Amino acid sequence: MLVRFWGTRGSLPVAPQALPVQAKIARALVAAGGRTFADEAEAAAFAEANLDFATYGSYGGATSCVEIEGGDDVFMVCDLGSGAREFGVNSLRRCAKGHARTWHIFLSHMHWDHIMGFPFFGPAFDPAATLIIHAGHPDAEAALRRQQEEISFPVPFDWLKAKISFVTHGRNEPFEVAGVTVTLIRQHHSHESYGFQFQRDGRSVIYSTDSEHKLDNMEAEAAFEAFFAGADLVICDTMYSLGDSVSLKQDWGHSSNIVAVDLCHAAEAKRLALFHHEPSYTDEDIQRMHAETVRYEELVRGDRPALEVLCAYDGLEVTV
Amino acid sequence: MDWELERSAGRLVARPRGRVDETTWEAFSQALTSAVRDAADAGGLPLVVDLSGLDYMSSRGLRALTMAKREAGEVVKITLAGPNAPMREILAISRYDKLFEVTDSLGSVA
Repeated sequence: MLVRFWGTRGSLPVAPQALPVQAKIARALVAAGGRTFADEAEAAAFAEANLDFATYGSYGGATSCVEIEGGDDVFMVCDLGSGAREFGVNSLRRCAKGHARTWHIFLSHMHWDHIMGFPFFGPAFDPAATLIIHAGHPDAEAALRRQQEEISFPVPFDWLKAKISFVTHGRNEPFEVAGVTVTLIRQHHSHESYGFQFQRDGRSVIYSTDSEHKLDNMEAEAAFEAFFAGADLVICDTMYSLGDSVSLKQDWGHSSNIVAVDLCHAAEAKRLALFHHEPSYTDEDIQRMHAETVRYEELVRGDRPALEVLCAYDGLEVTV
Repeated sequence: MDWELERSAGRLVARPRGRVDETTWEAFSQALTSAVRDAADAGGLPLVVDLSGLDYMSSRGLRALTMAKREAGEVVKITLAGPNAPMREILAISRYDKLFEVTDSLGSVA
């Protein structure tokens, strides 16, 4: 399977502003130290080798949208945050080269940042497209219809040209989608959310966002350890520090980098992708959080095999 | 994990030793909560958790600290003393150094 991140930000899209971009350019020029480059390719190679990610790149600002490539000639995508606009455009390009026009969409929950990309999702306007929307929530259709009502958006749901259907799934009841086995787990979040496990050919990917792990519910913790067990990649909500998640932001429905590492350790997962980044964080903040998480994993690893800690960004691709 | 609790100089001092992880956090949490209750029953004595004998603490131990803090409320003040270098890093990474007063040693607790 190939996991492609189209949107990794939590709660609210974030747009780049001039001052942080100017600061990146200034840092790059200082790092170059007066060197000259024959062309942009040479300069890009220098930058990639010598600059940190927060200077050379950006974590991006689109909200949750993660493609799981691995189904038989279908698109599979988790959530339709603002990253779904770019994913829609890109997937239609692939259709122009022969890919089948079928999209399986897995919605973790119906909060706005996870569905706001749907009104701008190109395939929904394609009469040749088939969209199958999978959710644990029976009100998924109502949520998507409501955000296209006239008071919020000029194009009503019924004007969409694609063939759109909704499937409500029970938790812990695996189902097959184009050769991939999919299982849901209920998560603690306002109006509930669901995590997804995708399995194929002995490989598994977990998508678990907008999930708070409560201090006093260790039974639920054990259920997540079982759900994550042996996963090749766990995409996990790491929006807050543990300190914030048990104090000021308790009951806001999100998890921490610390708990994500411990869950993955207990589950003997192989890789963790930090996800659903706090919208007020700069690229430098996210980079620092990533470095701290890598360090925490080293400190508490003990005799376990190392857990690789990735930090998701818009555009990241991970082969599983 | 080993645990000792002693009363001295108008305070309770708890001394966990070893690691607090997924195998030991429950014993740590029970002992810590019990110590908070002892401190409250003794008229609201301060409780100092001497971390100098602790190798490290994972999130479960940190969350046990939160449960103890909730139990303590305004009655018992909990201070963390003498963390080793890894433990100090864990407190900083988790931002628990913002939730608890952390001192370099038992002797420097106010």
